[in-house]
Amino acid sequence: MLIKILGSGCAKCNRLEQLTREVVAELGLNATFEHVTEMDKIMAYPIMTTPALVIDEVVRVAGRMPGKDEIAGWLRA
Amino acid sequence: MVFVAAGGSVKLRFAEGEMELLLSVLQNGVASLASYLAAHVLLCLVPAFFIAGALSALVPQQSIIRFLGPEAPKWVSYSAAAGAGSLLAVCSCTIQPLFAGIYKKGAGLGPAITFLFFAPAANILALSYTGVALGADFAIARIVLALSFGVGIGMIMAIIFRQGDTARLADQAFAGGVGISRSTLLFLAALVALLLAGTLKFDWLTAGLFSVELPWASGPALQAQLGRWVPVDVATGAEGLSVQGLLLIGLLGLIGLAAWRGLGLVDNGFNRHTWLTLGLTALTLVLAALGIRTTENGLLLTLTGRSVVVALLCALLLPLARRFEAWDVQQWLWETWRFIRQIFPLLVVGVFLVGVIRTFIQPQWIQAVAGSNTLLGNLAGVVFGVFMYFPTLVEVPIAKMFLSLGMHPGPLIAYLMADPELSLQSILITSAIIGKLKAWTYVGLVALFSTLAGLAYGAWVDGTPLLHLALLLAGFMLLLSGSLHLIGRFNRVTVH
Repeated sequence: MLIKILGSGCAKCNRLEQLTREVVAELGLNATFEHVTEMDKIMAYPIMTTPALVIDEVVRVAGRMPGKDEIAGWLRA
Repeated sequence: MVFVAAGGSVKLRFAEGEMELLLSVLQNGVASLASYLAAHVLLCLVPAFFIAGALSALVPQQSIIRFLGPEAPKWVSYSAAAGAGSLLAVCSCTIQPLFAGIYKKGAGLGPAITFLFFAPAANILALSYTGVALGADFAIARIVLALSFGVGIGMIMAIIFRQGDTARLADQAFAGGVGISRSTLLFLAALVALLLAGTLKFDWLTAGLFSVELPWASGPALQAQLGRWVPVDVATGAEGLSVQGLLLIGLLGLIGLAAWRGLGLVDNGFNRHTWLTLGLTALTLVLAALGIRTTENGLLLTLTGRSVVVALLCALLLPLARRFEAWDVQQWLWETWRFIRQIFPLLVVGVFLVGVIRTFIQPQWIQAVAGSNTLLGNLAGVVFGVFMYFPTLVEVPIAKMFLSLGMHPGPLIAYLMADPELSLQSILITSAIIGKLKAWTYVGLVALFSTLAGLAYGAWVDGTPLLHLALLLAGFMLLLSGSLHLIGRFNRVTVH
């Protein structure tokens, strides 16, 4: 599973990565993390707002902080 | 002293002179900080930080972005860009991706520029702080001028660079998105009401309802001591420190301590410190709204309309907040704390330094350069704003210092318009996203318009009727955009 966090390195983006890592650990999943900070690569996704969470190239959330349950739901899907 | 030589005593006296200067400079810094913390921060910045946190955590960005799509009519996209500027971009880390997004995903150069111009000057923190520190007229001038010129500059940029700015392919970025929920709106309204109730100077808010005098023998002595530490000086605008101010600064310190765990760790769930922080904050706001004065025998407490309204609104926030899910409330508090941690230390250092620097600036210098509403004075304000880069909000205490040193309100507005908009950092970001030529055109336009804003506001303060000014400004804008439009058409014809 490939998990990408899109964001310019702001506090919210780091928080999102930390939260997602926690959920991944709780579910005992195997995932590779990538924190994308280059604006061009971020803009290649259909989003305009950061932070964004991309799981296996599907944008799950952009511009807000999801709850842990929400993240767990996407990871199980 | 062991060496009682003549040279030694001279040296000692010299050192004493330096010491005194250093002490008085430091005292000025501390005094400016103390009166700032006691007077300005509480009733305006504390609610403003909570509002900023709520905007960032509870308002989905998509709810505003969706109005920026390329199919949206011009007036919708320009007003949405301005709205995004004031509602979403409380910190600079949201400005950059949003600006790039608005520009690259179809809304075009115009609204993107409007957003870039409007965001730093008109977010809730900047406005409420300007209003309290400099007066409501400055805050209103700032928002009106920033709004009209932001849209104006955006449109002009769109006209100049019409070629190559055909709408880029729109994709899902603008699609869908949930609206702002009713409970969020209510909650925000209550917070804004709290901010307004704490800062507005209506009679029914400031009038005393009833007073009690508490006997407190050491009160007058304490006040006299505070007066020695932080002297009141009407000429320089130093406000002094009251017993109430001292109490509030102490409470602020306590809130800071409690919030470190209470708000900093709130996203792991509410803890005891969270409730302590919120309780202390409410208590501080109510205390700040009380009238407390030292008299000959003790303390005179006056319950004002303001204290009642502030207390009621604080109580109202609790049931409103209960309508959210716990996660949302945690996000709100966490974002609030993030803003405070990010901005507040900069402000404290900035205000202290302003107090220090103030010692060295002669009022005559300021008055000679920008004491009256001249073209040169306004240009000086703009140039100072461009070359000095101050962190978010520090431009406000600096402006206050200039005002007390005798700067004319016109050049002051020119400075206030230029400083947050133009800095080396923002110029670099802008040129990385839209290219050098466009970026420098933007810089030139902002400088031009800031000067114009200063001249117009200064003329209004000096007594020119508003209608004349509005007509003149409208005429100027028409002329400018008309000629630019012609140039644009001419260029297109020659190219084809």
